[in-house]
Amino acid sequence: MRLWRRKDRDARPDPNQLQPPEGVPLYLPVAGVGVRMGAQITDIAITSIGALALVLVVFWLDLASLNTIGAISSLMFFIVRIPYYVVTELIWNGQTLGKRIMKIKVVAHDGGPLTTYGVVLRNLMKEAEVFLPMTLLLSLNAQTPISSLLALAWTGMALAIPIMNRYRRRLGDFMAGTHVVHLPQPRLMDDLATTTAASPQKKARFTFLPHQLDHYGTFELQTLEGFLRADGAATSQIAFDKRKETLAAIVEKIREKIGYADPIGPADHMAFLNAFYSAQRAHLEQRQLFGDRRADKHHSKADEDA
Amino acid sequence: MESGVLMRSARFRAEREADWRRLETLTSVAERGGLQRMDFEAAKELAALYRQATTSLAIAREISLDKALLEYLEALTARAYLSVYAPQERLGGLLTRFLTRGAPQAMRRCWFFLLLGFLAMFLGAFVGYLLYFENASWFYVFMPPELAGGRGPDASTSYLRGVIYDESPDASGLGAFATFLFSHNTRVAIFVFGLGVFACAPAFLLTFYNGLILGAFYALHVERGLGYDLGGWLSVHGVTELSAICIACGGGLKLGAAVLFPGDMTRGMALQVAGRDAVKIALVASIMLIAAALLEGFARQLVQEAWLRYTIGWGIGALWLAWFVLGGRQKS
Repeated sequence: MRLWRRKDRDARPDPNQLQPPEGVPLYLPVAGVGVRMGAQITDIAITSIGALALVLVVFWLDLASLNTIGAISSLMFFIVRIPYYVVTELIWNGQTLGKRIMKIKVVAHDGGPLTTYGVVLRNLMKEAEVFLPMTLLLSLNAQTPISSLLALAWTGMALAIPIMNRYRRRLGDFMAGTHVVHLPQPRLMDDLATTTAASPQKKARFTFLPHQLDHYGTFELQTLEGFLRADGAATSQIAFDKRKETLAAIVEKIREKIGYADPIGPADHMAFLNAFYSAQRAHLEQRQLFGDRRADKHHSKADEDA
Repeated sequence: MESGVLMRSARFRAEREADWRRLETLTSVAERGGLQRMDFEAAKELAALYRQATTSLAIAREISLDKALLEYLEALTARAYLSVYAPQERLGGLLTRFLTRGAPQAMRRCWFFLLLGFLAMFLGAFVGYLLYFENASWFYVFMPPELAGGRGPDASTSYLRGVIYDESPDASGLGAFATFLFSHNTRVAIFVFGLGVFACAPAFLLTFYNGLILGAFYALHVERGLGYDLGGWLSVHGVTELSAICIACGGGLKLGAAVLFPGDMTRGMALQVAGRDAVKIALVASIMLIAAALLEGFARQLVQEAWLRYTIGWGIGALWLAWFVLGGRQKS
């Protein structure tokens, strides 16, 4: 029973992936409740300022009497916020100002283009999901327990729905067929393999035999890559020393594992790791071309099991 | 010899890097100014480079173990995807299309649910009317005291008349408009629409209950011989406002029906499909509520003749009907 359930869970698509019409799944991480709340609060602040300005204009021009200030304020807030969300999300392709600040974005759930209908619907539902609970909470009253309980239930539901599903969609997102993602920031870094290959004498210094490269898999390679890319990040003396220690430990570990006999001086540690990275990557990529994907160092064991 | 040293994935990157950089620039241009403001060549290039990048990504996932490169390609393609598939809609065209075609067509498609909405209100009014004449204390059961504003079976006939032909309103103009917009009926309309999702019943019951209030209220005035005058008082905005509630109820029922009878689709899918029309109906209802608040805020205090009130109220009602029936017809 448990096994079956787990399998069922694994079969579901990754929420962070989106399938565009081109058919190549894209990685767009789902934005959490916290960051979206942050964007919402920013938007409410912006619209409140706009509404306040309008209220001041109304009373400055003496268009209404002061005893209706409450109604006028809610009217102005209403007038500002209804078009604000729809127009900003249409102009900036699924981003309000708050979402731009938080670097999140609305996308169509099915991977197609974001439709106008979707934008309008999800923002109209915001009235019922965000602003209605807010007014309801303000108007909670001990004298009317039933309506207060109903208001509380509605508010609880509006808060619970995004937490209960994997895409963090609120009710409006469900109806409009959208969800909110983090905007990825493309940053192209140098290829570690090319930078080492550019200096041939270093490459010649360390040579690795094929059997020495059979120990590790992709996971170890990419962990090493992360370590090498962090080079130069050390700012203090302590951090620098720490890094030196780690470097020495890694080199020792690798030497031991692959059976690399020649001793390596501390000055050559970095060069050794770079050379090893290039050789290991070339080896693994070649194996992969032949259909031999090696996820991590346990690959040989996995092969035996299969 | 230099390129011979490079491994396959590094060569792969060297060959395409310039294109990726170009796509990066084009994407940021599109994100800042929008696709509409880019010139034709650039937009075409963006689309072509984006498709190339998706291919690159697919290949890189197969042949490259360079994590930094993979992450870059993932992010770049995702960004390009978002700007290539951005909505291409003009705001002005959107509004015109909704008013001239989308709204009336949606109303006509959902005529059955709208009819049910009106039926709920009329049944409620009928029952409330009959119950009042059976026993006047029913009035207190139905009517929330803050809505009655002192009008009830105990009030004097002259007081009731005074409210109908109100000579000294405490709020007028913009203030009154705002007050009425956020009054009881708007809240009812929102709830009636929203609660429809829960299998229709709450929406129908709430509309029915509002009909009860209306019926009992009307019966009270009929009993005092003020039926004609109250009709006028209600007509000015009520034709529009009560219709808006019934229409909102129709929209809610449409959603509820999708939940109850999803047909061949899943319930979520059915809700999405039904939502397309329901949202338009809700928008129509909100436009009508705003119009009703305008009428209530401005017209009701200005017009004190009962017959003129009838004319204005039902005339505007006829205009709404004409919009729903005649709007957006295709010329065949």
